[in-house]
Amino acid sequence: MNKYLSVFKISFAQEFAYRASFIMWRVRNVLQIFLVFFLWTTVFANPQTELFGYNRDKIITYIFGIFILRALVMSARTVDISGEISNGDLTNYLLKPLDYFKYWFTRDISSKALNLCFVVVEVFLLSLFLRPSFFLQTDPVKIILFLVSIAFAVVMFFGLLVLANLITFWLPESGWGAQFLFIVIFAEYLSGAVFPLDILPTVIQNILYKLPFPYLLFFPLQVYLGKLSTGMILKGLLFSGLWMTILIFFMNYVWHKGLKRYTAVGR
Amino acid sequence: MKRFFYYLKVWWMMSKNSFLGMLTHRVGVFVFTAGKVIRFGFFLAFLYFLLIRTNTLAGYTLQETIFFFLTFNLIDVIAQFFFREVYRFRPLVVSGSFDLVLLKPMSALFRSLMGGADILDLFTIPPLIFAVFYVGSQMSPSQVQVLFYILLVLNGLLIATAFHIAVLSLGIMTLEIDHTVMIYRSLTNLGRLPIDIYQQPLKGFLTYLVPVGIMISLPAKALMGLVSANGVFWSFSLGIIMFTLSLRFWKLALRKYSSASS
Repeated sequence: MNKYLSVFKISFAQEFAYRASFIMWRVRNVLQIFLVFFLWTTVFANPQTELFGYNRDKIITYIFGIFILRALVMSARTVDISGEISNGDLTNYLLKPLDYFKYWFTRDISSKALNLCFVVVEVFLLSLFLRPSFFLQTDPVKIILFLVSIAFAVVMFFGLLVLANLITFWLPESGWGAQFLFIVIFAEYLSGAVFPLDILPTVIQNILYKLPFPYLLFFPLQVYLGKLSTGMILKGLLFSGLWMTILIFFMNYVWHKGLKRYTAVGR
Repeated sequence: MKRFFYYLKVWWMMSKNSFLGMLTHRVGVFVFTAGKVIRFGFFLAFLYFLLIRTNTLAGYTLQETIFFFLTFNLIDVIAQFFFREVYRFRPLVVSGSFDLVLLKPMSALFRSLMGGADILDLFTIPPLIFAVFYVGSQMSPSQVQVLFYILLVLNGLLIATAFHIAVLSLGIMTLEIDHTVMIYRSLTNLGRLPIDIYQQPLKGFLTYLVPVGIMISLPAKALMGLVSANGVFWSFSLGIIMFTLSLRFWKLALRKYSSASS
């Protein structure tokens, strides 16, 4: 346990080694919120508007919720696995007395912690500038279920990201393509990060709910906003838990298969 | 004219090399292109499902909003097609290899800016032009509106060129390229939808300081008959001023180049 604590501390400190780079990355994230914020503010210009099950407060909460949850769920260092496989650096880890996945999960947690610290400050500053009104969930049960769904989402995203990276074992030069498709496009759009999924027709929503992506951001926020009954939340958590198990199992399976193909090219 | 053909030949050769380089990882290229098309489709679907319920966005109909989005994509994709080399500029400066570019018998700016077109974007340009033509023609624009649209798209590309030159210049002076160019992209992304959705002071910022509005929104507005000849003139003036300033900035940056690590 101590060694992972050390990994956490080193990884956290490492992020500060490239301060300018990190700050620029956060600036880009802040810029992204403007488009969605003003888009929805325009749609809900009339405070009485109710659309897709949202009122003005709820949609603003959704936008800021996505902003916070992205830092928590989607901030990760695991994206570097692909490069380590293709240039042979993976060998260094295989020789060390540590669990490769636990190592990267710890690094992810350190990245999430740092991003979360920044997000808190950014939300505060954006609130001063944009003066949004938020919906506050007061039901403690829903808040607990919301936190559980986030925990599931963090593990699920880790599984998805690792799997996208492990493709590099088979396609050493194309790992970035898989990451772009599964993480940047699918995980981004189908998780509700760009728009709430309930604007889509019910048929499409039902299909999406069978996939892991909506459980990354959209589902936790629906729980927080109180848009789902307790039964629906429990069903969602069941699906989310099931996907989490499948992804972790599949991640280990692909890892072992991939290691057999690994030739440590570049070492 | 002779000089033009000389550069055209050089550009063609560099683009061909870039294309051959890409062929070495075909699967990645295919997946990446597919990803771009899917992303485009997702956002288009979002606009469609949103506007069939709201009917308008900041006063624009579904068709008009989609046209704004298509125009944004057209300018963005063409700029990326021509200026992809900017994304590969940093290692040249950091390693000092930029010396070799300066020694070659051609403009260092041309080499750094257009030294290899991105073939991935070439695949998406023709369908995009067709989509712009199709959706645009549905709005029955007059010949003058079409002319204004074409002129303002060219002006948008001129402003995009100025931005990329500024990014390169900043890269020489600060060694920072990757995030600067991505911030530029994040800013231009704000032009995916009509600039009218933003409130002050952001709207003013995007219109005058970082003229995303003039670069992207204005051409689409011109086709809708919302821009006068005067507006086109002033937009072009701004484009030319920005382009001239960016060239001066480039010259200043070259004087600051230290050739470190070479």
